[in-house]
Amino acid sequence: MEAILAVTSKLAAPFDLMSMLAEVVSAAKQVLQADRGSVWLYDAEADELVLEIATGIAPVRVSAKAGLAGACASTRRIINVPDCYADDRFNPEVDRRSSYRTRCMLTLPLVDHKQVLVGVMQVLNKADGVFDESDEVLATALAAQCAVALQRVRMTEAVIEGEKMRQELEMARVVQMSTLPATMPVLPGYDLFGVSRPASLTGGDTFDLSVIDQGLLAVLGDATGHGIAPALSVTQMHAMLRMAFRLGADLETAFMQVNNQLADTLADDRFITAFIGLLDVATHRMRFHSGGQAPILHFQAATGNCARHGPTSFPLAAMPLLSLRPAVNLDLLPGDILVLLSDGIYEYQNDRGEQFGEMRVEEILRENHGKPAAELSVSLLDAVHTFARGAVQEDDITIVLVKREAQVATHGMFQRSFDSLEPIFAMTRGFCTRYGVDPGILLTVDFTVEELFTNMVKYNRESGARVRLDIATIDGGVEVALTDYDVEPFDVTQAPDVDTTLPIERRRPGGLGLHLIRRLVDSMDYRYEEASRQSRITFRKTLTGPASADTIDANARKTED
Amino acid sequence: MLAIEFGPEGRGVVVVAGRLDAAQAAAAQAFLDPLQGTVTLDCSGLEYISSAGLGVLLKTQKRLLAAAGKLRLTGANRHIQDIFRYSGFDQIFEIEPAR
Repeated sequence: MEAILAVTSKLAAPFDLMSMLAEVVSAAKQVLQADRGSVWLYDAEADELVLEIATGIAPVRVSAKAGLAGACASTRRIINVPDCYADDRFNPEVDRRSSYRTRCMLTLPLVDHKQVLVGVMQVLNKADGVFDESDEVLATALAAQCAVALQRVRMTEAVIEGEKMRQELEMARVVQMSTLPATMPVLPGYDLFGVSRPASLTGGDTFDLSVIDQGLLAVLGDATGHGIAPALSVTQMHAMLRMAFRLGADLETAFMQVNNQLADTLADDRFITAFIGLLDVATHRMRFHSGGQAPILHFQAATGNCARHGPTSFPLAAMPLLSLRPAVNLDLLPGDILVLLSDGIYEYQNDRGEQFGEMRVEEILRENHGKPAAELSVSLLDAVHTFARGAVQEDDITIVLVKREAQVATHGMFQRSFDSLEPIFAMTRGFCTRYGVDPGILLTVDFTVEELFTNMVKYNRESGARVRLDIATIDGGVEVALTDYDVEPFDVTQAPDVDTTLPIERRRPGGLGLHLIRRLVDSMDYRYEEASRQSRITFRKTLTGPASADTIDANARKTED
Repeated sequence: MLAIEFGPEGRGVVVVAGRLDAAQAAAAQAFLDPLQGTVTLDCSGLEYISSAGLGVLLKTQKRLLAAAGKLRLTGANRHIQDIFRYSGFDQIFEIEPAR
């Protein structure tokens, strides 16, 4: 009894498993006067016994049903075998491998105070004969102490290991999230928004929205796997893409080279689904490649429908790319939205095991597409939250929205005076800047507005009515209207042309303005309303309109003929 | 707004900058009216010109040509060159484009 008490105090000390096992074996040998001892730990998940330590013998795993140890584990009863070679449950293989001869053996279950099987302890070859009944009693008392001590150490180690992993994961997640854009880029004519909500444990989402030399870069990436690896993979991809584009790569080169580098670097079972797109701001065309990232939704404001696009390639890092299918082009019209969502949204499961799915996403887009992108994103997240009904978020959720501003219009009322030109030009400039109208057409717009406005001032000086100026975006440019009130009709579109080839003595400034603007704009329309005595002149100007230098030169030649 | 002044070379060079529109035409005309001989109009700071501005230049050119002088333009931007070309004014003015 004293021996056991001495052992018990010793067992209180160690905190790591190996020291504890050594302590237990040494205690057993001492108390039972045995030559050797070993402890098999029970691995409940594998239903195996694991020999973590035995003097001079390498660690072994055996089925928790095999041999004397297995018999003891299943019955949880002490087994006393005085002559091992006479017992067919004994496996002489261990002896053979360690050049040792086992005579007698006491096998006892290690069961903690919650009746959990911790393992099996075996002591071999009692110094002066075989193990007797009093040894069995002593061993049972010792086994109980050892089981509790071992279980304590195992649990402590699991907690420490878990905490270590949690800290590492947290660190990786911090790095992962820190690479995401902190503020959204400002792009005239567009409304951009991206957000990523990490899940508590696993997930490897990333996104990028950034104005670079090649246009607007839009990226959504989602790395597979659990734990720390996906967070590190996507962080790597994010940085590689930025670097590739910074070095001047085009879409194809960046996609292929980053894929091939990741295929080289990442572990064989890792891959990243990713959308990588470049928006040409002048043409509103998004060219993209998608490695396994789908669906790519293109909400079309004109119809209220969503066009879906699939991937152009397999996920990044899956294998090296030797060639690439052509990129997909997607033309964003006013009000259209490119919607990139990670599968953390589509596959979010509620408490009934249903997934959020694509149909719900499309419904939300139809109902909320008029909202600013940031608010649309909130609507999506709210809908997912409501749908989940308390079910936890299992995967990262990422939303990237590239919204082209819907057709926008503004108007102003201006005093009938040349002094109004300054505020008029401030309005046209402000509008074009705000809504991404190509600055190349601004001077023509100003020129045309000035000619029309000053005509209104000159030919209707008596009127006190102010002139109304309307500007609206159209595809590739603007539509501008000037409305004059309380006037006689005068159709500017019918004013005679000026002969621009006359010698200087015969040239007069009059009429030149109207002559020019009819050639500078894409179209011009005049309406007169008898009832309200109201003149309205509407013109359109786009970057790609028909009024090019060629047509003007042709007109000039025609005049010469 | 419009700024119009003599260049460091003296009264032979007029530096014009900003926007020559209908609201500014009278000021520009008043500046150019007393000038004689060959005058170079440095347009490198001129952002915009309207037909009212063209009218000012045309009137000045006619007056100078009648007295064996002329108005020549330098540094005109793309918009101004286009306007001159579309209006046939490139045949009336000597224009040296922006460098």
